[in-house]
Amino acid sequence: MSRAKTKDIRPLELFLNQTVLFLLVGFILIMALVKPSFLAWWNIQNVLIDVSIYGVVACGMTILIISGEFDLSASSQYMWAQILYITLLNSTNNPFLSIILTLGSGFLLGTINGLIVTRFRINSFIVTLGTMTMIRGLCLVFTGGKMVDTQNKFIKALGSAEFLGLSSLFYIYLVVLVIISAMLAYTNFGRRLYATGGNIEVAHLAGINTAFQKTAAFSIMGVLCSIGGIMLVAQLRAGSTQYGTDLALTCVAATVIGGTRLSGGAGNAFRTALGMLVIVVLYKALIYLGLQAYYQNLVKGSVLILVVMFDLFMTRRRTTMKQERS
Amino acid sequence: MFGEQGIQYLKANLTKVLRSQGVLLGLVLIIIVASIVEPTFMTVSNILNILRQASAIGIICLGVTFVMMTGGMDLSVGAIVSLCSMVAVVMMNTYGSLPGSTGIVLLAILTVLAIGFAIGVINGLIITAFNGRLGETFIITYGMQIVVASLALLYTGGQFVPGIFAMGLYQQLSMGFVPIICFLSLAAIMHVVLAYTGFGKQISFIGANMDCARMSGIKVSRLRVITYGICGACAGFASIIVTSRVYSASPLQGTGYELEAIAAVVVGGTSQSGGTGGIVNTILGVLVLSVLGNALNVIGVDANAQLLFRGAIIIIAVGLDMWNKMAKQRESTK
Repeated sequence: MSRAKTKDIRPLELFLNQTVLFLLVGFILIMALVKPSFLAWWNIQNVLIDVSIYGVVACGMTILIISGEFDLSASSQYMWAQILYITLLNSTNNPFLSIILTLGSGFLLGTINGLIVTRFRINSFIVTLGTMTMIRGLCLVFTGGKMVDTQNKFIKALGSAEFLGLSSLFYIYLVVLVIISAMLAYTNFGRRLYATGGNIEVAHLAGINTAFQKTAAFSIMGVLCSIGGIMLVAQLRAGSTQYGTDLALTCVAATVIGGTRLSGGAGNAFRTALGMLVIVVLYKALIYLGLQAYYQNLVKGSVLILVVMFDLFMTRRRTTMKQERS
Repeated sequence: MFGEQGIQYLKANLTKVLRSQGVLLGLVLIIIVASIVEPTFMTVSNILNILRQASAIGIICLGVTFVMMTGGMDLSVGAIVSLCSMVAVVMMNTYGSLPGSTGIVLLAILTVLAIGFAIGVINGLIITAFNGRLGETFIITYGMQIVVASLALLYTGGQFVPGIFAMGLYQQLSMGFVPIICFLSLAAIMHVVLAYTGFGKQISFIGANMDCARMSGIKVSRLRVITYGICGACAGFASIIVTSRVYSASPLQGTGYELEAIAAVVVGGTSQSGGTGGIVNTILGVLVLSVLGNALNVIGVDANAQLLFRGAIIIIAVGLDMWNKMAKQRESTK
């Protein structure tokens, strides 16, 4: 209320606003002290590859959550992209045509999700629960539950290519991240997305085609899931329904850790990248410390709950502070 | 003049029946088609089998219905089934052969109910502490799912536990009509609670409009916590029936149950935004999905392709429900 009071809060506010950054730096420092080899170059490379593949999909999840929706089917779409891409690659032997067709299929799947959500006004949790089951079924029927692999030279070269000591996958991620962030921050489409997620009725009254915005967000999500799938193929030269089962909810967790509100209307893709980095560093650290796999899951789940609690706590705090100011 | 009105009346009523009893009609349709394609479908043993299978998942669905009526979601029920299965079977293996085994069976049931209830209450407390809505309930119970599932794995270090206790009351729980009676009597109790008591009406009110419920003096947080507790306890009880049936426990026993349960509740017509639906709807939803699964099995569709049907059914059921609501709204504004 009074000026002095707000001044007192400031350092705390800075900390709370940049918690993710402090958390990340602190975490890396502790790990470096406990196990200096955690900062070895190969480990950093591995962390960045993991961040890149999941991060691409997390960009899409950020857009969707900003527009007030959600996609559970991301994992299944990601599996489908791997399987489709490898099948096309093996049959046509043309990597670029295969990429275009895979991206097209991702676009189509995303658009179908979006159209069902916006036409029938069903909660996106339920719609994508349904499409998740269906696409997973499709993958299993298509492959008979087996792993598929490829020996294509182009994809081998893409996966092992390095520039300045970093994998090519990381640069693909950087390009996607910059494009998505620029779209959110500087285009009309991006601003309309924020408006749609913030208050859909007001956005509608202001003349924004909210159904189009949401459908487009789902389509972008579909394309990004396909890119993620292709990147995984480049790294592993194989695809299976076993890869990426935790993808959708990991991406949601990264988005939330990055500070995007689950209720929609706020957030940004760079912070999601930071959130993804925190998650991957945490997972790697748990493996590095030699924790049993079951304990790793215990920690993962607890961290997820704590993060959401923190997010809710911050939302509440901000609304009360706004009320105090006004 | 009169005739025209009569026809209009009939027309209006027909669409009304079609709309309100869509799930029931779907169920009848599936049964008719399945029994024409494969006559063995309509045998008494097969139908009993379907009902027995449906009763375990059905009991979970009863709890999930309560949670979804308040406009929430519980993804941790599958993991609760896993954990409770382990606890119950290990308990029976250790003490089940001692004299007084009836008491031990009851003790196992009570323990499992208590564990489920406790996990549910923890879910509820976290969610209500921050007044979480649908999205938050989703993420928090997903986190709880990971935690509880890893506890189930840690309990025996990931080992499968075969049942080595003496046959007796515990085994009876999955034989003949017992699981069906358990399911239906529990459903009856919960239906009465939901439809005819103040508690049930308040739950529906919370789902329809949480802020409004709070303003009218309903203790929203307390009721929500109790609801999540009931949901957890139902999952715990279901684990008894499942383990009694398979006479063993696996730490992955309940994997995927939560999605099956949510699908059944949603197909039945309980809205994901809360407030509408009920136990009778859920029973129908459970029957539709288990009859469909069994019919596809009997006809010979493989398990992978069944996923396609399952997903489609979820979307179609919810889509029809929504379309129905929109049509009603249009009529009321006219």
